[in-house]
Amino acid sequence: MSATEETIKAIAANKTRTKSTPVLNRILDFLSSVRFGVVLLCLLVVLAMIGMLIIQQNVNGFDAYFASLTPAEKFVYGSLELFDIYHSWYFNFLLLVLSLNIVLASIDRFPSAWSYVKNPKLNATHNFLLKQKQNTVIEIESADEKQAAEKVSRIFAANGFKSQITKSNNSFYKIDENGEKDFSKIETKSNLIVYGERGKWNRLGAYIVHVALLTLFLGHFVALQTGFDADVRMMPGQVTNEIQMIQFKLDKQERYKVALPFTIYCTDIEQDLIDPKGSINIQNTIDWHTRIKIDDPQYGETNADVSLNRPFTYRGYRFFQASAITLGSARNMVLELTPQTGGQSFTVDLVRNGSVNLPDGTKVDYEAFFPDFTFNQEGKPDTKSAEYNNPAAVLNVTSPNGDKNKVFAFAASLSDKIPVGAPKAGYKWRLKSFEKSPLAHVLSIKYDPYNAAFIAWYIGGFGLIGALCFVFFLSHKRIWAMIEERGENKFEVVLGGDANRNQPGFEDKFNKISDALTNEKSVAQN
Amino acid sequence: MEEVRRIQNKSTFRAYLPAILALVGAFLMLFLRIEIGAKFISDAALMMIALACYIFAALFQLTNLYAPSEMAQKIGLWTATLGVFFNLSSWLVRWVGAFDREIAMMRESGNMATPWFFRYIPFANLYDLSLAFAFGAGITTLLLANRQKFQFLSAFTLPLAALILTLARFIGPEFIDLPPVLDSYWRPIHVGVASLSYGVALVCFAVAVIYLLKDKVKVEAMAIWSSIFTLAVIGTVSKFSVFTEFVYRAGLFLPSSPKPFSSPFRLEIPYVGAMLVISGVLLLGVIVSFLIYLYQNNESAKKIGHILLKISLATQILAIAFLVSGIKSTTDIPAKLQTQIANNQSQLIIAGKELASKQGLSAQEFSALTPMQFEQAAKQFLQSNGDKLFLSLNTNPVELAGLITALAGTFFVILFGFKTETLRERLPSLESLDGLMYKTASLAFAGLAMLLITGAIWANESWGRPWGFDSKETGALIAWLTYAAFLHTRISRGWSGRSSAYFAIVGFLLVIFTYLGVSYLLPGLHSYA
Repeated sequence: MSATEETIKAIAANKTRTKSTPVLNRILDFLSSVRFGVVLLCLLVVLAMIGMLIIQQNVNGFDAYFASLTPAEKFVYGSLELFDIYHSWYFNFLLLVLSLNIVLASIDRFPSAWSYVKNPKLNATHNFLLKQKQNTVIEIESADEKQAAEKVSRIFAANGFKSQITKSNNSFYKIDENGEKDFSKIETKSNLIVYGERGKWNRLGAYIVHVALLTLFLGHFVALQTGFDADVRMMPGQVTNEIQMIQFKLDKQERYKVALPFTIYCTDIEQDLIDPKGSINIQNTIDWHTRIKIDDPQYGETNADVSLNRPFTYRGYRFFQASAITLGSARNMVLELTPQTGGQSFTVDLVRNGSVNLPDGTKVDYEAFFPDFTFNQEGKPDTKSAEYNNPAAVLNVTSPNGDKNKVFAFAASLSDKIPVGAPKAGYKWRLKSFEKSPLAHVLSIKYDPYNAAFIAWYIGGFGLIGALCFVFFLSHKRIWAMIEERGENKFEVVLGGDANRNQPGFEDKFNKISDALTNEKSVAQN
Repeated sequence: MEEVRRIQNKSTFRAYLPAILALVGAFLMLFLRIEIGAKFISDAALMMIALACYIFAALFQLTNLYAPSEMAQKIGLWTATLGVFFNLSSWLVRWVGAFDREIAMMRESGNMATPWFFRYIPFANLYDLSLAFAFGAGITTLLLANRQKFQFLSAFTLPLAALILTLARFIGPEFIDLPPVLDSYWRPIHVGVASLSYGVALVCFAVAVIYLLKDKVKVEAMAIWSSIFTLAVIGTVSKFSVFTEFVYRAGLFLPSSPKPFSSPFRLEIPYVGAMLVISGVLLLGVIVSFLIYLYQNNESAKKIGHILLKISLATQILAIAFLVSGIKSTTDIPAKLQTQIANNQSQLIIAGKELASKQGLSAQEFSALTPMQFEQAAKQFLQSNGDKLFLSLNTNPVELAGLITALAGTFFVILFGFKTETLRERLPSLESLDGLMYKTASLAFAGLAMLLITGAIWANESWGRPWGFDSKETGALIAWLTYAAFLHTRISRGWSGRSSAYFAIVGFLLVIFTYLGVSYLLPGLHSYA
């Protein structure tokens, strides 16, 4: 039996509406019924299945799927909003009605569940006890009824039950000489009842589940309504205060520029590779890092490292590492310089967008990096492919006398006779090594001004998990013992009990209590 | 009083001893693997031993059901314990194996960094998940076996766990390069919860089937459903070619590291298609005969149905035997493939389309391609790779596992038809089974909720959106909603027992669809697992 099961059965009897019941009440009864809730769940399952089988417009591969459909299919599916079913009016309406059903059902059933907590059933009759799933009759010895009840109470307490002793007056028809009930005479007999229970709050578990679910629905809804998705391309040195908002319209993605209330400056991008000599593809990657500096007129400067699975949140904007433009580039490089006049070659380190001064006062500025160097049709440096087939760095070199030169440093050893390989600015330049990195990273941005997604999924979600564990891993166990005198120092204990869940577990507990009572008797006899 | 409690505590400990031993033993194996290194027994070998143990345990428990014997029951219980021990050991040893592999690669290339150990937790692909899924089912069975009356459960749950391990065997134990987005501490939480709750759902399914058996649902009705399932499997394998062309074609692999690449071509395996068609026809006969029996109480139809069912079991066994031997023994693949294509040119276009779909073309580019171009692409592929193509049991893991599952279904229905009344008597009461079904469904429901929530939070950390109706997300949501409906129908309509059993069966089928169907059939972010 679930947490609400018993309560529902209890109130079901009171719910037989007559024809004169007002229409509004009937509607409310219908809307709050579990049966209606089950129908809504089934409808939700059907719609979700349709959404799973028909590729949705925000899923990769939708454009190919959409292209493969006939015009009639496109028209029918489009009219029924099946390409974006989870944002269709009827799907949202269904969620709304389901939420309403949960709220009304909870309001309707809460009072009876609360009565288990507030007004536990302390009394019990002989018949009631013998009708319980677990019941037994044990004879114990004790000086008087009170001591017998206290003995039972101690055993309840030893088994984790909170016990309470009450006096119960039971009325029944007198039995005549023939052993039949005499309905004209009522007798009253008082007995001591020991009531023990544990886990009574479990009766409210279902309501906590419902509250958590509603928090989840509401939070997610607010996040969807007030927020948006966007992305931004980040290259070291890039400064922007605009991001690209994305909207899906069937097989087309529409992008709108959205202004930010602050400026983002990309200071560095880095790709952790398994094999640093290998490619920068996804199979060889451990992580990507995008280092940004936020310049906010209101709050000043903030530095952040956005990497995979480690987003950065700032003023309702969450930045995620989304993807990379995998055109090979270099994060830093080691240049080998051989003086043109002869002498020992030496190395200098240069970072992307950085500059370095040589001992003779020459200044080297980074300009560009090409993984597969070539000259394009306009005669400008370019790359043939995204792969590191012929890597080269383009540098701006300023000699101590102020002369400016464009220098190409290749990884490959080039002959001095080739123009790009010839010494320049007093040195023969070579790209000795470099740290691979992509051209740019793409950060996706989720704007959620009220942190509704956090509330929905962390508070609602974890609340739901906790509540479900509370509901299904615990149970409300109740046990009653009626003490009846059966002769001098002899008492009969009628024991009965039930649990709203985990009957085998309760059966074990009940047997343990029953054994303990039986053993008490044998200890007394010894 | 103290004495009584001590005895009870001791008996509780004893009841859970098999589960405790399996867990502790597996962690000892992990320790040994770390100490001994790569020379230690491989995770794949441990998995095969677990598979054998599961089958033996099920056989002993089945024997105990038909011919009660304390020894058979004990052997069944301890073999199941060994199965769980080897299953978990395999998973843990794999963890260290994955770590060693990548560290070796990094050191070789001069990278001295050591990523965190959780990066290598074996939850990276469907093989890993299958190991954990089978373990989830095994450990749940062992935990429930703390009550002697539920020890028989392993007769039904462990064959299912064995089927999952069989699927894992066909998928292959090769390690994959972990997609960076999966390198999160949420992965062990999310996928761990998934595998355990799938395992519990499997046990709930087994209890539901046993409930139906105990509740005197006719074996013939079960046979109709299992036959429909088998027909569906036969109808869909080999890209629907069995019933349309009467042939079965197995996928061809191309060597590639770390895992062979699945080529767009399939090669006909002799006799398999014919045997499957015969099985299909026989199963149709089974369905018709049993329907006549159920609606007209026709005893002759019942007899015919049972005979047809048994023959279909034999033909299914033959089909699988031909398939396995065909894959193992076929030589001269390029010539055979050329002959096959010469007889049916349309295969080139199909293969060409498959090749083009993997090129990342836009919809417009794809639709602009002509059949001639598809044919050309396929021919080019054959020209450069034709001589390297090979057959393997791992080429179509889901198909092969599907055929074996269908065979197991037919076998169990035939088994249920044998001394049915004796079997029913030996099973626990309907009330206990219903209680157990409710308990396991509740656990599965709570587990699936955890799966959804942890997945959503992880997605929020990785992609910036907690819920995107990705096909795997939606599949898990549908299974969860089905269990929610299961629990609520018990409240609103007092649906317990048989109705609940049907719900539990549907719930598990949806779990399986999420686990396999979504990964292999639908596009989405979870296509790796």
